[in-house]
Amino acid sequence: MSKAIGVLETRGMASLLGATDAMLKAADVCVTGRHGIGSGWVTVVVEGDVAAVQTAIAIGRAQAQRHGELIVAEVIARPETRAQDAMPHAVASAEVEIDQRALGLLETQGLAPLIAGADAMAKAADVEVCGWAFIGGALCHVLVRGDVAAVQTAIETGRRAAEKVGTVYATLVLPQPIAGVAPLLPLTPQSTGGRTGALGVVEVIGYAAVVAVADAMVKAAEVDIQRLSIGSGGRISALAVGSLDDVQAAVQAGREMAGQVGGLDGVALVSRPDVATMSCFVSVLEEVRQGGARRAMGLIETRSTVALVRAVDQMLKSADVSYEGSYKVGYFLTASIVRGDVGAVRVAIDAGAQEAAKHGELVAAHVIPQLYEEVERRLPHQ
Amino acid sequence: MHASIGMVEVEGIAGIIVAADAAVKSADVELLGWDSIGGFTTVFFSGSISDVDAALKSGAAAAREVVEHVVAAPVTQPQPACLEFVTNPVNKEAVTKSGALGIVETRGYGAHVYGDDEMVKTAAVDVVHVITVHNRVVCSLVQGDVGAVREAIARVQTRLRGYEHLMCTAVLPQPRPEVLQAFAVRTGGGSGV
Repeated sequence: MSKAIGVLETRGMASLLGATDAMLKAADVCVTGRHGIGSGWVTVVVEGDVAAVQTAIAIGRAQAQRHGELIVAEVIARPETRAQDAMPHAVASAEVEIDQRALGLLETQGLAPLIAGADAMAKAADVEVCGWAFIGGALCHVLVRGDVAAVQTAIETGRRAAEKVGTVYATLVLPQPIAGVAPLLPLTPQSTGGRTGALGVVEVIGYAAVVAVADAMVKAAEVDIQRLSIGSGGRISALAVGSLDDVQAAVQAGREMAGQVGGLDGVALVSRPDVATMSCFVSVLEEVRQGGARRAMGLIETRSTVALVRAVDQMLKSADVSYEGSYKVGYFLTASIVRGDVGAVRVAIDAGAQEAAKHGELVAAHVIPQLYEEVERRLPHQ
Repeated sequence: MHASIGMVEVEGIAGIIVAADAAVKSADVELLGWDSIGGFTTVFFSGSISDVDAALKSGAAAAREVVEHVVAAPVTQPQPACLEFVTNPVNKEAVTKSGALGIVETRGYGAHVYGDDEMVKTAAVDVVHVITVHNRVVCSLVQGDVGAVREAIARVQTRLRGYEHLMCTAVLPQPRPEVLQAFAVRTGGGSGV
């Protein structure tokens, strides 16, 4: 006999997780699907008897409205398998183990406030930082587990620390989460972080801006760019580690460069970051690529494929440059990269920028005459 | 080497499916594929310069009937790098069903879970693909006889009336096979977040 299904869609993971926990506790239903479609819109699908699903969805609707923004709450009493099988939401068995500990969730806009908040949480109370995820629209969340009192303290401290850096979207504390919510939780990171003096995060909008910022940071001070972390909503962060003085100088240089190229979104400076923070956010990329040809790099970024294709075509026709690749960071943003002699790259970028502006929104056009090899190896576009 | 390539860019994906069908029917152009940049999608086709111009004109006009934001432009004598932007090429091997194509596009996924259920219950149609385009745009494609597809689309329009996130619906009575191979097969293009 086929079972009834209920579908609940919200904006933000805190409201979905809170509502799902309440649904599973209120009626005999289980989670059979989840799907995220960007901009922070997330959906959960539950299954059970008609009456149970109706009760669950009524509770879920009320809970989601209380915690955040509700998009859809519906009951399908007798779902048609031909339709449901075509849907991309089915989940496999739970990948995350749920135990009896309390659960806390901090949800922010952008990675800089999230890292600042996560670090404050790890330092404030005896909690385990259990992973983080992006759900689109620049929304991201980090999960902590521990005793109820520890989680409450951590979330309160984390919220205050994150608010100093950026915007907190929501927080949630579940004193006793039900095991069935496991499919909604982010995976626990496998890597282990090391100790370091300081961690600097410069978050910008667009790929061109982050390459320029990372380059400015390593040239300004003795720091190591550990990672370019691709977010959503076009946000992308450069994570630098080193001694506190160096990281401070690098973050300052990165902030100035971001102001020039456009699109600074957030800055966080964490001194003596906790090991948990490091292993969660700063896992070093394993593969180390060969250094590039040490030629000048030109970046052009638009919010339209039509404009970008026209610009790339124009660049290749107007100067002796070669096409190296393109990179999408969401929020309609795509950057294309060309390499060549400094003069040729300048001519090409000028021509490309003019052409792109004719057909759509030009976000950035930037030339880096000489890129440091440390940055070169971390670039994800090749 | 292509003499020219044509590009039509829209918000969502329904617009380029309609544009692709109109373009290949109006001139001797080859459908290359499509690309998504998070909410906006672009369809690419190639041919002689005048064929591409004609196809662009009718493709853009068809797209404007279903969506507001439409950008169209050709690249004459394109550099090979331009073709690297076609990230979802037409799968020429793909086996597609024959029949009319119905398209429902919304912001939000939940509406498709019950909307598609309604369509399948209303008339003899099959859900062939549910595409997540990012920026919360989701598009369901159904196939069946023209009459069945029209019924199903009319039903889902009624069902989603009052749902503020319904973007558009469209029916292609007789889509070209390459259009189905590009969009209506359940591979590639748009996974969840």
